[in-house]
Amino acid sequence: MTVLAYIIIAGPLAGTVTAAGGARGRHAGWAGAAGASVTLAAAVWLLVAQLHRAPVRGLAGYLYVDSLSCFFLLTVSAVTLLAAVGSIGYLSAEEAAGRLTRFQVRLYFIFFGLFAALMLGSLETGNLGLLFVLIEASTLASAALVGLEGKASSLEAAWKYVIISSLGVTIALAGTLFLFYSASALHLAPDLRLTWPFLFAHAHALAPASLRLAFLLAVVGYGTKVGLAPMHTWLPDAHAEAPSPASAMLSAALLNTGMYAIIRFLAIAKAGLGPEFPRVVLLVFGFLSVIIGVLFMVRRGNFKRLFAYSSVEHMGIIAVALGFGGVLGLYGALLHTLNHAIAKAVLFLSSGDIVQRSGTREAAGVRGLLAVVPVTGGALLLGSFAVLGSPPFGLFLSELTIVRAGFAGASPALPLLLLLLLAVAFIAFARTTTGMATGEPASRLAASGRASPYQGRAASLTAVAPVTVGLAALLVLGLWIPAGLTTVITHSISVLR
Amino acid sequence: MPGADTTSLSATSIAGVLLDLAGVVILLLAFACLGSKLFNRYVAYYGAQSVVLSFAAGVAAYAFGRTELWILAAATLMIKGIAIPVAARRLLIRRLDLKRDAALSTGLSTSLIAGGGLTAFAYLVTRPQLLPHGLVAAAVVPLSTAVILLGALAMVVRRHTVAQLIGWLIVENGVFLGAITLVATFPFIVEAGIFLDIVAGVLIMLVFVSGLTRQLASASASELRELQG
Repeated sequence: MTVLAYIIIAGPLAGTVTAAGGARGRHAGWAGAAGASVTLAAAVWLLVAQLHRAPVRGLAGYLYVDSLSCFFLLTVSAVTLLAAVGSIGYLSAEEAAGRLTRFQVRLYFIFFGLFAALMLGSLETGNLGLLFVLIEASTLASAALVGLEGKASSLEAAWKYVIISSLGVTIALAGTLFLFYSASALHLAPDLRLTWPFLFAHAHALAPASLRLAFLLAVVGYGTKVGLAPMHTWLPDAHAEAPSPASAMLSAALLNTGMYAIIRFLAIAKAGLGPEFPRVVLLVFGFLSVIIGVLFMVRRGNFKRLFAYSSVEHMGIIAVALGFGGVLGLYGALLHTLNHAIAKAVLFLSSGDIVQRSGTREAAGVRGLLAVVPVTGGALLLGSFAVLGSPPFGLFLSELTIVRAGFAGASPALPLLLLLLLAVAFIAFARTTTGMATGEPASRLAASGRASPYQGRAASLTAVAPVTVGLAALLVLGLWIPAGLTTVITHSISVLR
Repeated sequence: MPGADTTSLSATSIAGVLLDLAGVVILLLAFACLGSKLFNRYVAYYGAQSVVLSFAAGVAAYAFGRTELWILAAATLMIKGIAIPVAARRLLIRRLDLKRDAALSTGLSTSLIAGGGLTAFAYLVTRPQLLPHGLVAAAVVPLSTAVILLGALAMVVRRHTVAQLIGWLIVENGVFLGAITLVATFPFIVEAGIFLDIVAGVLIMLVFVSGLTRQLASASASELRELQG
C-alpha cells in the first residue's frame, strides 16, 4: 500500500525526467502521459485497496492516506492524465507553428510533471506544515507554466499569480502556526502537533480562540489558491494566459488541492468549535464567490476567462455545499468536485484546440465551430451544458444534491438564491458558447480551421481522445455512480460530520 | 525534552527578554520600510530585519540548545540577511536603475497610520491572554502578526513589482518570527522546506520581474492594465 502511494507521486515525474534528460518535447509528452496513466491506475488501486481498511501511515506521520486523500488523488490523477495526453498534441502544434521554441516545450514538460507530482504529494501528507510546503512549491512550478509563453501579458499574469498565491499561502502558514499554538497546551511529542490525525483526534482539547483564528486564516490563505472571492483575482489572468492543458490542470487539479487543504482544517474546526462558526465562514466565502463568478461571466470576451470565472463559481458552490453540511451537502460537495474537475478539463482542453484553429482567444472571433470542426464544437457545446448542470451529466446530479441539502437546512432563502444564481450562470455562459459553436464560420476559422494543426495521426488523436473520454465519464457519472465511489465518498465525509 | 524547554524560556528569562526585544526591533524595521520611498532603503531595512531575525533564531537555539536551530539561524543570516538583499540590489535596483518609488497608492503618512491601526488590531486578536497557557514567549505572537499585516499592507499600498516582492518577504519574516517562538517543537524538515520554498519563490519572482521589465519600460504593476477584471 505504501508503495502505491509512492508510485502515484513518481508517475508524472516520468515526463519531467525525460524532458530534463534532453529528449524531444513529443517524447517527453508521451513519457508524461504514460506516467500519468500509471498514476491513475495506482490511485484507483489504492482507493479500492484502502476502502475498508485503516489509513496508510508512514514516515512518522508525514505520509498519511485516508479515504479523503484517496478521493482527491483519484480526481487529480484523472485530470493529470487527461491534461498530459492533451499536452502532447497542443505543444507539438505550438512548436510546429513557431509560437514556442523547442526549449520552451521542454520546460513545459519539466514543470508539468513537477506540478502534478507536488500536488499529488500534498494530498498524501498528514503533516500540515509539509502540506504548506508542497502547496507553495506547486504554486511555483505552475507559475512557470503560466509565464511560459514569455509575452508581456503572460509574464504579467504569472507575476500576479505567484505574488498573490504566495501571499495567500503564507497566510495559510500563519493559520497553521495558530493551529500549532492551539495544541501547545496538550504537552505531547512535538512531531505530532502538526500531524492531522493527531490534531483531529484531540480537536476538543485545542484552545478555541487560536483554533478559530487558525481556521479563518486557513480559509483565507488556501482560499486564495481555491479562487474563493475576494481572493480570486489572480485566477482569470492565469487561466487565460497559460497554455490550455496547463489551464486545465490549474482549474481542475490545483483548485481542488486547495479545497482539500481547507477540508482538512474544516474537519478539525468542526470537531473543536462546533459546526456554527465554520458554517458561517464557508457560506460567506462560498456565496461571494458564486456571485462574483456569475457576474463576471455575463461579460463576453476571452472564452478562457469565461471558463475561469466559471471555476470561481463552482468552487463557490463547493464551499457553499460544505457550509450546508449534513450527509447530503458533504456528499454533494465531493461529488461536485470530481464532476467539475472532469468537465473543466474537457472545456479547457477543447479550448486549446479552438485556439490552435482560430488563432484567437476572444469569443467574438469564433463562430461556426460545429460546421468546421464538429468534434471540438460538439465537445464545447456538450461540455458547457455539462458544466452548467444540465441532465444527464454528472454535475446535474451533484448540484441537485447540494440544493437539496440546502433545503434540508434552516432557511430556504440560501438554496433559492443559489438556484437563481445558477440560472443566471446558465444564460450567461451558454449565450457565449452556443454563439461560438453555431452560426456561419468566422473568416479565419473557415479558411484554415479545417486543416489539422497537429502533425501526424497520433498527435491529432491526443487532441480528441481526452475530450471524448472526459465527456463519456461525465455522462456515466450522471447516470450511474459506481458503488466504490459512493463508499469512498461516504468514508471521506465521516470526518466532517 | 519539550516540557523542560518551555519552562526555561519564560518571558522573564534573559532569552525571553531578548526574543521580545528582537520582535520589537523587527516590527520597527517593518514600519521603517513602510515609511520609506527609496528602493535602496526597502532592501536595506529588509536585510536588517533578517539579521535581527537570525539573531532571534540564535537566541532560541542557545536557549533550547539544539543544533538544527543553529543551522536555521545561520541559513537565515546567509540567505535572507545577505544573499537576497545583495541579489536584489545587483539584479534589480542597480540594473533597472530604480531610485524613488513613485507608484504609491496612498501617502506615506496615511499608510503609517494604517500600519499603526493594524498593529493595534494584531494585539487585539492575539494578545497573550487569548493564547493557550504555557505558550513559549507569547508576547512575540502579536508582534509577528503585526509584521505579517504590515508586510501585506506594504504590498497593497505599493504598486511597483519590486516593492511588492519586498512586501512579501516581510510577510514571510513575520511568519518566521512566529515560528521561532515555537521552533523547539516545530519539525525541522518543515522549517527547511519553508526556507527552500522562499528561496525558490524569490528566484522565480526575480525571473518574472526582470522579464517584465525587459518588455515594459518600467515594471510597475499599476501599468499592468492589459489584463482586467
